[in-house]
Amino acid sequence: MRTYDVTVIGGGPAGLAAALSAHGEGAKTLLVEREARLGGILKQCIHDGFGLVRFQEKLTGPEYAQRFILRFQQAGISCAVQTFVTRAERAGEGFDVTLVNRDGVGTIRTKTLVLATGCRERTAKQVSIHGTRPAGVFTAGTAQHFTNLLGQLPTKKCVILGSGDIGLIMARRLTLEGAQVLGVYEAKPTPSGLTRNIHQCLHDYGIPLYLSHTVTRVLGAGRLTAVEVAQVDGSMRPIPGTEEVVECDGLILSVGLIPENELAQSLGVELDPKTKGPVCDGQLMTSVDGVFSCGNALHVNDLVDYVSESGELAGRNAARYAAAPRRTVPIRPSPALLYAVPQRLDLDRDNSETALYFRSREVLDGCVLRVRADGREVFSKRYPFLRPPEIERLNVDFSRFGLHEGSEIELDIEVTEHG
Amino acid sequence: MDMGKVNKKLSARFGGAVRAELRDGSVVLSGKLDRWADVVEACQLAAVKYSRVHVVNDITCAEAKAQPMRLPDLRDSVLEGARPDALIIGGGISGASIARELSKWKLDILLVDKEPDLALHASGRNDGEVHPGVDLGKGSLKHRYIRRGNAMYDEVCRELDVPFRRVGQYVCFDKGWLRPFIALYCLWRRYHDGISDTRIISGAELRRREPALSRDFKFAVSNPSSGCVCPYGLTIAYGENAVQNGAKVSLDTAVLSMEVEDGEIKSVATNRGTVYPALVINAAGVFAEEVARMAGDRFYSIHPRRGTNSILDKKAGASFSSIASVMEAARTRGRSKGGGILHTVHDNLLAGPDAVETWEKENTETHPESITHVFSKQQRTMPALSQGDIITYFTGVRAPTFEEDFIIEKGRKIHNLIHCAGIQSPGLTTAPAVALDIEKMAVEELRKRGRTVERNESFNPIRKGPPVLRDLPDGERAALIRENPDYGVIVCRCEEVSRGEILDALRSPICVPTVDGVKKRVRPGMGRCQGGFCSPLVAQIIAEFLDVPLEDVKKSSSQSDITFGRTK
Amino acid sequence: MDELVCIVCPRGCTLSAEREGDTIRVTGNGCKRGAEFARMELTAPKRTLCTTVRTTIPGVPVLPVKVSAEIPKEKIFPVMAAINAATVDRPVAMGGVVLENVLGLGVDVVAASALLDG
Repeated sequence: MRTYDVTVIGGGPAGLAAALSAHGEGAKTLLVEREARLGGILKQCIHDGFGLVRFQEKLTGPEYAQRFILRFQQAGISCAVQTFVTRAERAGEGFDVTLVNRDGVGTIRTKTLVLATGCRERTAKQVSIHGTRPAGVFTAGTAQHFTNLLGQLPTKKCVILGSGDIGLIMARRLTLEGAQVLGVYEAKPTPSGLTRNIHQCLHDYGIPLYLSHTVTRVLGAGRLTAVEVAQVDGSMRPIPGTEEVVECDGLILSVGLIPENELAQSLGVELDPKTKGPVCDGQLMTSVDGVFSCGNALHVNDLVDYVSESGELAGRNAARYAAAPRRTVPIRPSPALLYAVPQRLDLDRDNSETALYFRSREVLDGCVLRVRADGREVFSKRYPFLRPPEIERLNVDFSRFGLHEGSEIELDIEVTEHG
Repeated sequence: MDMGKVNKKLSARFGGAVRAELRDGSVVLSGKLDRWADVVEACQLAAVKYSRVHVVNDITCAEAKAQPMRLPDLRDSVLEGARPDALIIGGGISGASIARELSKWKLDILLVDKEPDLALHASGRNDGEVHPGVDLGKGSLKHRYIRRGNAMYDEVCRELDVPFRRVGQYVCFDKGWLRPFIALYCLWRRYHDGISDTRIISGAELRRREPALSRDFKFAVSNPSSGCVCPYGLTIAYGENAVQNGAKVSLDTAVLSMEVEDGEIKSVATNRGTVYPALVINAAGVFAEEVARMAGDRFYSIHPRRGTNSILDKKAGASFSSIASVMEAARTRGRSKGGGILHTVHDNLLAGPDAVETWEKENTETHPESITHVFSKQQRTMPALSQGDIITYFTGVRAPTFEEDFIIEKGRKIHNLIHCAGIQSPGLTTAPAVALDIEKMAVEELRKRGRTVERNESFNPIRKGPPVLRDLPDGERAALIRENPDYGVIVCRCEEVSRGEILDALRSPICVPTVDGVKKRVRPGMGRCQGGFCSPLVAQIIAEFLDVPLEDVKKSSSQSDITFGRTK
Repeated sequence: MDELVCIVCPRGCTLSAEREGDTIRVTGNGCKRGAEFARMELTAPKRTLCTTVRTTIPGVPVLPVKVSAEIPKEKIFPVMAAINAATVDRPVAMGGVVLENVLGLGVDVVAASALLDG
């Protein structure tokens, strides 16, 4: 049986970064990728804007991925593409991972696992869209796959539900390819995607954005012929009497992403109901010793730069991992936060430069993030505004706060009068 | 039957708007009503449950706009002049199982269905429960077939290589004082139905077996002979076995009209040519009444009743392993058993169905109210049941008669016609047994007409489905991959379906080269991402297999374009 | 006064731009690039363009491409048309030129993916 120090599952931006950093630490590393080509979802994200933080350049998704793929190949890291993990289970100090590919079924043993399994899109049925089941209902990612990888036009005239970034990007992309995008409908009163995407993808092309609106019904027997849209109330329920039928041949959904953690769950990894990703410490180790998480499997990111960063962190710490009893303290976000990552700190690790990610629950202007340790404020940062679609990242030196067993860290956002 | 009494009741309820008369052994209702609900009520007033005297609905209804049967686009003449011994109309569980049983004989069998695949109506849109046979009146055909059908499942599913699990069913009660009455009922059932395995179990025992069920339940009736099966999987398997044994299946083939002379069907016109069958078997589900009308043998009516089921993530499926429902105190007249919770053979959880009367035979739209209704009821059965775990939902339309019983008999006026109509719950359970009886009736009828009917010596009851690699031990899986490396390329990550299995589906005896056709056979796209990741890949594999451009691959019907061609 | 949203980086600052004679005064920008963006946006707005080009290479129906520098906003659809009229029939490495000086704009269309590398 082949053995590795670190096995990274998933060859997208998080997994590539994790494998590179684990290898850089001298760990014997294996990367397992389900598809034939490395790069993950970046392969189909042909728009630019990737890498601004890391490279101070606007790269397309494939270009960004290629920078890592080249380094990965030059480093000579072991890699199994078109290989699927069917099982991972604890075996002694490490894990046995069962792999299926064209060569058959094999098992490798690894000291640690880095789960970089990405996320999937929420589907029509998960947002309670009813009516018929015609062709022409796509998640934005599926429409993107058809358009950008297969060169096929998935719709000529469509409605987009959800103002998530992929939906906005696809509104522009389909318009460029000659399709008519009738509008983007968003059930929330505020957009879900980045403001710049509202401007450069919708405003630039005269595509209307209907806030507090949703698609309630799909019509058509073979191919979609129309959708019914309606206004929604404060709790996002359709308001009777506001229904309107919009004729179109496509419905594109950009209604949220869900971290893929089925493998993590099979290993007994505890998930955070808020992020839907594993509960991790500052080293991105999950509740199961030796299992690390990063990228969109950890929480849904809006910048690939942060995905790579979390991959590097997870890979590095997986390489350095040594079994030891853990003493952890929780990081608890107040209800003003949608979530915060990491969810806890390991007192026996270096917490002097912890990358803390958080999202606010609502659109807030002029506010302060306050970090309290055992009730006393130890850190604060002012923000001119916070928006749920835009993740905030900061480095916090938790080592200075005198944390001990039984400590608790609380995060809160306070709105100030004059931000 | 006393028409005076019936008319008195009708007139008390609807004034003079509806009248009943006895015509050719059926109670024919005529008149005019505004609402479909009233039409159903009027017919139910006139109907006697399980009677062989059927209500025929000729009431004009303002609300129920005439909806012509949806027809395939296809027009050709591949069937022109065919002279099958038996023409089976309808490729649901009834038609497919009849075709398979008839293929034991040296007969020219032709099964037609207007849809692009088998099991696209009620047979593919139900909960897949194999019922134990509760609450069926003695003397009804449902009662006659259910024990036989249920008992046949192990063997049939083994022969056809279809997963079937006898997981048992629990009817749960939250009122402890009912227990003595229900105990009596179980005794009576043993005597009346010959079912000896029905037991009462305590609330504690129920929760020991199924910890996720409500703590409010004081006791439950346990029916260990209940099971679950994949209903479209079984239908397709029956169809494939029929084809392997010489039957022909013609999809996208709608019966348009019939030529009838001297009590005989002479010819049947379809969109693919006119055929001249010796015998016609009407297994047309919600359209059985239309087929009977074409043949001039319409002695019953179908009143469509839709039901919606939800499929939940496998994670929810892990919390429960059988079938359960809460017993409701009040039950609506003329309705089949209400919804329940079921652990499917594919390890999902299923919740539903509800039951709503409708005049629309082909409207399978879903409505949020159906889901809410089912969940609010079934959360009493399993408090942790959550709409958040839903991965998909679907509606099916049942095809009951007003007598709420099956019609399994020869034509009353037409001699070369056999009806297998009014099939609704528990029609999936009874199908294997009904098919055997129809086989006998058909052979007898053909012999009567001077046709020599001989055994098909080469009949093979065994149908081997494609291997399901995710269920195989690693060694066997590896061996298969060695033979065919495509089995090692996973295309659908949620259901772990390989490229090899998708190609198997495309090479199967009834090839349906569409995304849905492949999905029904080997499950890519059935999982939690609902084809988000794999549908472009599956479409590509189909395009390569057929050697056509990608835009020619359809989701299901010929109108269901997935893409509109190259962007450039 | 014009209100704009800066699209230079994901911060998406809200900018106010006021013309004062020949100069444009920008406020609300988080960095220099924001001010520059606002001035361009009011005088000669430019955008980048990312799309695909058809190829005849088996297994690669389309190749991602982008413009080597921003182009005038109103030229987006004309450039799209020029790219859609082109076909790649031999491997072009990432960064390689697919269309030189497209529509005489002084900008090339280049491969933005390593699909056809090596």
